[in-house]
Amino acid sequence: MLRTIRYAAIAVALGSAAQAAEFTWAETTDPQTMDPHAVNSAPVLGFLNNVYEGLVRRGKDMSVEPALATAWEPIGAGEGWRFTLREGVTFHDGADFTAEDVLFSYQRASDEASDTRSWFAAVSEVNVVDDYTIDIMTSAPNPIFPSSIANWMIMDSGWAEANNAALPDKESGNYATLNTNGTGAFQVTAREPGLRTVLEPFAGWWGEAEHNITRAELTPIQNPATALAALLSGDVDYINPVPIQDVARLAENPDVNVIQGIEARVIMLGFPHEADALKYSAETTDANPFADPRVRQAVAHAVNVPAILQTIMRGNAEEVSQLVSPAMNGFSTGLADRPAYDPDQARVLLAEAGYPDGFSFGLKCPNDRYLNDESVCQAVTGMLAQVGMRATLDAMPVQNYWPELRADNYDMYLLGWSPGTFDAEHPIRFLAATPNEEKKLGSWNFGGYSNARVDELLPMVQSEIDADKRQGMVDEITKILQDEVAYVPLYVQPLVWGTRSNIALTQRPDNFFILRWVTVN
Amino acid sequence: MLAYLIRRVAQSGLVLLIVGMVAFGMFRFVGDPIDNMLGQERTQEDIDRLRGQLGLDQPFAVQYFRFLENAAQGNFGVSYRQGRPVSDILLERAPATLELAAVSGFLAIAMGIALGVFTAIRRNGFSANFIMSASLIGVSLPTFLIGILLIYIFSVELGWLPSFGRGETVRIGNWTTGFLTETGLKALVLPSITLGLYQMTLIMRLVRSEMLEVLRQDYIRFARARGLRDRVVNFRHALKNTMMPVITVIGLQLGSIIAFAIITETVFQWPGVGLLFINAIQFVDIPVMAAYLMLISVMFVGINLIVDVLYFLIDPRLRADRAGAH
Repeated sequence: MLRTIRYAAIAVALGSAAQAAEFTWAETTDPQTMDPHAVNSAPVLGFLNNVYEGLVRRGKDMSVEPALATAWEPIGAGEGWRFTLREGVTFHDGADFTAEDVLFSYQRASDEASDTRSWFAAVSEVNVVDDYTIDIMTSAPNPIFPSSIANWMIMDSGWAEANNAALPDKESGNYATLNTNGTGAFQVTAREPGLRTVLEPFAGWWGEAEHNITRAELTPIQNPATALAALLSGDVDYINPVPIQDVARLAENPDVNVIQGIEARVIMLGFPHEADALKYSAETTDANPFADPRVRQAVAHAVNVPAILQTIMRGNAEEVSQLVSPAMNGFSTGLADRPAYDPDQARVLLAEAGYPDGFSFGLKCPNDRYLNDESVCQAVTGMLAQVGMRATLDAMPVQNYWPELRADNYDMYLLGWSPGTFDAEHPIRFLAATPNEEKKLGSWNFGGYSNARVDELLPMVQSEIDADKRQGMVDEITKILQDEVAYVPLYVQPLVWGTRSNIALTQRPDNFFILRWVTVN
Repeated sequence: MLAYLIRRVAQSGLVLLIVGMVAFGMFRFVGDPIDNMLGQERTQEDIDRLRGQLGLDQPFAVQYFRFLENAAQGNFGVSYRQGRPVSDILLERAPATLELAAVSGFLAIAMGIALGVFTAIRRNGFSANFIMSASLIGVSLPTFLIGILLIYIFSVELGWLPSFGRGETVRIGNWTTGFLTETGLKALVLPSITLGLYQMTLIMRLVRSEMLEVLRQDYIRFARARGLRDRVVNFRHALKNTMMPVITVIGLQLGSIIAFAIITETVFQWPGVGLLFINAIQFVDIPVMAAYLMLISVMFVGINLIVDVLYFLIDPRLRADRAGAH
């Protein structure tokens, strides 16, 4: 009897002390490839961050910290950056990590066949100084370069070449599409696309393990109700996302935790700045009211963002005044206030602009891209109607949505933007700069917004080393965009993760799930 | 006979061509795959280049013809999403769907016939009436609701069965089976009930009404009058004569079990071809969609062809008609 109790006590002690655990999780999207340079999308990069590593990485608070590089410093007066590489790092297959791999990964990731080449637009050349030092030269001073390459993952040159995967192949795939060989804390031990991907800790990892996972399995579950049931029944330990409407119910369940945060993605309304006339109006067929900043300002005042957040987002999001959220580098703190909800002011502005009776137009909206996107658009439609702007809402799946926007088939549209570099420069480059195919500027500026001063300031922002001066320029751009109401930013999209209550993890605003911060208790 | 067969095969081929064309014509409304294949930082140049590589800039007729040309050689192209040959992916996913379809088909037939006979014999009994009323659920509730309901009861509340997936599978050659592991068998229960429920109620109601019809026939009365035991009358004489129309319907329903597994597979994250198809639609993975639709239409056309030929063989009137034309 006594012995049984003693054994039981030992078992309990072992159970809590050993702490080794298996972990399963579900996401809506399966990473479509294991190649870190083939597709620049969050599901792929987020997953591969557990397997591959970059020269730098982002910490729990999104700050840039050393990874495969231990230190970096600018060369001369901003001709480039010198990275000192970590010694004694090995890839999962045992090969040593050296500067050659960095050079190879640069060539691979910046090739035309890669989806990540825009990260290296500023790079003029890469020079190997010695095995553990590498110089990355830029055509102009580039202060944010180290923080812009946190998702640039290093691949072993020997492995890639031996397996005929020296370049990514998006169309027909190659060895690196299904297999991995990184330096990260976890290695992929089984991969069945669309079904499951199994990770196991890499024994030879250079870092200190914070997790207690012995095996982790990712299963994509597309149906939100199924994912929720899987979490509730304990079949999975973590799901992302939790449907907003289920948050309150889940929060009452003692077996699960809901972890909420703010994503980096800003949801905004966009306008046809260049169009001569509305496309979907019943009566205003020869003019474009949205070309008038007063009309755009009226839109900003007419939309009751707090009400949208309260009802549709159930209080899980934050309103925003500019193209980036407060968590991003370069946020203009002095310009943090959104135009107040003021329908009377909106009516006055419309009257001033020559539309005292309002007008009708078409609002385009995706219905499966952002959280509750269609509901938000319905609410916006109702709110705009109260001041006389009568929108006809046309909501569609995202695969149909982008082609419509590219073809200029909208009078107003909904857009979400998450800056890949976590810097305010990113949305300026893609959304506010005058579209320029050659310079690769404004590629998501569907409405063709154009301001000479913004175009002038952007290259200066990109190359300014002095942080205060740079912030001053970003503030000036933000001010212009707010004054001219280039876009109407609405809110920052929420992040809602669900876990079993015995799981401890860290949620990062980029919605990346970092396995090495997970503890199973 | 030969001429008839050739004509039927030619007709089937034509149907396939038309199905393929309609499907292909619809793909342009599903959306543009380019945005899913390129990231946020793509340029117009990247878009144009990829579109050229995939042949999406070609006119509809050229794309369709190219697809037919490749499909005739057994090449369904490479999945836009996975970057692997579509035929490999389909072969990988087929066992899951076929095993699910087989189990739910078996369930539907066995339970359907048993309950149909029972409710016919005990026409006015309480339990028969209860089963008849309950079967309305199977006919009227949509599949996804039944699936979610079963998950809620048996996985979330009771915790008896897994809520999603296929459990552990064993690989035998190119085939993966869930029949050989405990988790695999457990995982089969809820999806196969969900998928088979509609077919089961259909078969049950059909068997019941056919059986009632047969039980009124004179030869059944005479059999009873001869003093044969109930069991012999019901099963040897009545059921046997009920089965002809039932078998026809079962044959036709076989195809729809596989084709309509899509919803069940989505609810249970069952890794079969139906789920693959749904994912392909979301991603505008045209090669996968095209191959799946062709596969399903080949299956239906094939079943119909076989049924037609069987009718010709079984039913002398079909032959008599043609003989009369001389």
